[in-house]
Amino acid sequence: MPQERAHGRAQYRMTDDKDVLRDVWFGRIPTCFTLYQDEITEREAEPYYVSMTKLLLPRISYLTLVTDKVKKHFQKVMRQEEVSEIWFEYEGTPLKWHYPIGLLFDLHASNTALPWSITVHFKNFPEKDLLHCHSKDVIEAHFMACIKEADALKHKSQVINEMQKKDHKQLWMGLQNDKFEQFWAINRKLMEYPPEDNGFRYIPFRIYQHYGKTACSSLLDP
Amino acid sequence: MRDGAGRRPERREEEEEEEKEEKERRKRKRRRSARADLQFSLQVSCSMAGGEEFFLDEKRFKQCCEDFVKHSQQIGDGWEWRTSKDLGDGYLSKTHFQVRNRHIPPDLKEKNSDNTEQMLFAHIEEPLDDSQAAGVCSTEEVVRYEYHVLYSSSYQVPVLYFRACFLDGRPLTLDEVWGSVHASYQDRLQEGPWDTITQQEHPILGQPFFVLHPCRTNEFISAVLGGSQERHRHTNYIILWLSTVGPVVGLNLPLSYAKLAPEQSTDADLAE
Repeated sequence: MPQERAHGRAQYRMTDDKDVLRDVWFGRIPTCFTLYQDEITEREAEPYYVSMTKLLLPRISYLTLVTDKVKKHFQKVMRQEEVSEIWFEYEGTPLKWHYPIGLLFDLHASNTALPWSITVHFKNFPEKDLLHCHSKDVIEAHFMACIKEADALKHKSQVINEMQKKDHKQLWMGLQNDKFEQFWAINRKLMEYPPEDNGFRYIPFRIYQHYGKTACSSLLDP
Repeated sequence: MRDGAGRRPERREEEEEEEKEEKERRKRKRRRSARADLQFSLQVSCSMAGGEEFFLDEKRFKQCCEDFVKHSQQIGDGWEWRTSKDLGDGYLSKTHFQVRNRHIPPDLKEKNSDNTEQMLFAHIEEPLDDSQAAGVCSTEEVVRYEYHVLYSSSYQVPVLYFRACFLDGRPLTLDEVWGSVHASYQDRLQEGPWDTITQQEHPILGQPFFVLHPCRTNEFISAVLGGSQERHRHTNYIILWLSTVGPVVGLNLPLSYAKLAPEQSTDADLAE
């Protein structure tokens, strides 16, 4: 447990620094999506569609949450029966949609020129590498699980458990609809601590390493 | 030749056999009611708020796992301890096969995917009754389950991960896993399936596994144990926890593990 420490200056709150929060929230990565060559099947009597589409992806969101248009675009050039769950790959590596987009970019492509080129697949889902994502519910469940785990470290889950279901929903909708104010109206409660405490119980921290090594998290005393 | 009680030897043998059978029956009955008692008290405890927090630190987790594996080896229960090369962490692991009846109930609700066809599984211990059997086609299938027990430093409790696939290698879908949750727990699952079992990345292997969410583990473990942590310093937390959560996902512990988890006794109380 953190020891009592004397602070020389007034308590710093993350939520005081809104500019930084906004910069993080609105970070974008220009991305170019290409359908995997082997999966393009020309439809009879249909014009040939351009096989690429470009997007500005939010760093703080998830691939499967922001690529509905990509999915619709490419499904047009495939036969219905051949289309199953969408998945993404970069230079042969399946991209873990449950990692935030910014993290994926930093891990895999930070040294390459923009736009980031991602390949889209609709077949041969890599069961051993990727979690399934059949609906938005899956993404929401994952996102909320991360929030809850972080609060277990920060506040022994007290803040997240005292929130109503509608607050949880607001967090998720804020992320899904890219609404900074809506999101932070709730998130600021998760980023605060009572003045008598000297900070969070533990700081949630996760280190991701390159080349297939897994993330590790450990307890960090503030 | 009659014995002291005036009975013929053959009759005595018969009576001894009967007595043995009667003892076995009583034993089985006691086991069933012990399990029922535990289940009942859990259901009661879960609805109660509070209960002292009962956390497990990592050192104690490893010790409990060590004792657990030792006992498993003695009784051939198949658990082993695995460590990862990169990280210092380890976990318990066990693989086993289960036979399932596959049936399609008529009143299915879509909870997950866009697939209109969903498969549900029933445990083979519960035969389908007439109403279930009517209009249902049933095939037996073998499912390979791999269970892992890891330590969560965030929640300071053990967490149960598992993956399941058919013999042809096809992994079970989330819907199939939800459907295979034991009938006794279906109601609780349906209240919040997304908070109960989902796919997650295995913290050590980095691969997709299903996980039984740990958020509420502490709640019911401390409700079951009650009292001070001091009193339970000899309890094997892993056995207590696994015997509670395991059955939800088809994992049952032989009762012989109870030898490692001493019950609360009045003697121990008096000794303090």
